Amino acid sequence: MSALAYFLEDEGLPTVAISLIRLQSERLGNPRSLWVPFELGRPLGTPNNAVFQKDVMRAALELLEVPTGPVLLVDYPHEDPSAADRDDWRPPFDFAETIPDPSNSVEFAAALEDEMRTLAPLHRAFVAANQRTMVGLSGMDIERCRQFFVSYLADPAATNPIPWVLWVVDDLRTYYLEAMMSAHPVIPSSRQLENWFWDRTALARGLLALRSRLMADNDTMTRFVGERALLPGVQRHRLGL
Amino acid sequence: MVRMTELTPSLQDALDKGNSPTFEGKPFVGGPPLSERRVAVVTSAGLSRRGDALFQLGDSSYRAIPADTPASELLMSHVSPNFDRTGFMRDQNVIFPVERLYEMAGEGTIGSVAATHYSFMGAGMPQPMEPYAREAAERLKSDHVDAVVLTPA
Repeated sequence: MSALAYFLEDEGLPTVAISLIRLQSERLGNPRSLWVPFELGRPLGTPNNAVFQKDVMRAALELLEVPTGPVLLVDYPHEDPSAADRDDWRPPFDFAETIPDPSNSVEFAAALEDEMRTLAPLHRAFVAANQRTMVGLSGMDIERCRQFFVSYLADPAATNPIPWVLWVVDDLRTYYLEAMMSAHPVIPSSRQLENWFWDRTALARGLLALRSRLMADNDTMTRFVGERALLPGVQRHRLGL
Repeated sequence: MVRMTELTPSLQDALDKGNSPTFEGKPFVGGPPLSERRVAVVTSAGLSRRGDALFQLGDSSYRAIPADTPASELLMSHVSPNFDRTGFMRDQNVIFPVERLYEMAGEGTIGSVAATHYSFMGAGMPQPMEPYAREAAERLKSDHVDAVVLTPA
């Protein structure tokens, strides 16, 4: 049983878990689980689709009225219609061919600045359309995030990436992905966005350089952060890293 | 379908070995009809409000999120890079479906919506989480909650 489900039920609170990993649910044996065939990060499925989301919620909540226990695992039958790649999506620009090697810190810093200048109006459009941004973990504005990242990358003695570097990286990556969701009338799948980011941007090139450096550090935690916290497992696998 | 490469190393390891946390007994609590229940969301997605402490590596504690928190005030500081965030960027309800709960309450599907919801950061160890989970349970019960939807990231 998952720790949260166990402790809450043990305190007398009925729970139903929405599960994204069926094998995990089979092994955990939660009191009630609805397994949904969606990608990690989207337990309710499609963004901005209240009808679909409510159907998932209804399917989950109805398990609370099923008296059969103590383990109930039901499969949700519908796929997330937004998960498929969009053939009609094209990134409106491509930075990849002109990105200098991050070891050339002056040229790389200039390329990153150019790239983010291109993204700035798109990010403003995202915020205007959605009335929100998830940028904000570092507490710094995005310009200062960029400067912090460039300085950190250029300083071979810089260590201890926890937690500030991770928060700065998260803010920068969020900025890129939010901007790209406003760059084209079609919103691509998350896979298309992630692949674009990791294949075609200076920021990703810098992150991969940072990752290599952290993985060579003497400190165990720094190596762990380098190996696991910067690059999603899917991309690690796809890029053969 | 979720691939193994998307999972955290600890979860991959646990699934590979068939390890799962074990607890004494299997509590299974009933309750009134759904239309009479007060429902809360407890997520393991590492959500917090702007200005609250962010989640850090190994953090087992929780953050309380009042139901009327605007989406613009929510941040996600889960340390794992292994799940999509773009859905949540566009619509908080893909992980934190409080708006859906209000609609369901309005339609009479559920009784009411909790005043406060909670977030942990998943992929941690059960033992350090226990005192926080039990504390959150007390707070939920004092809000008369009798149904909890657990959402992962």
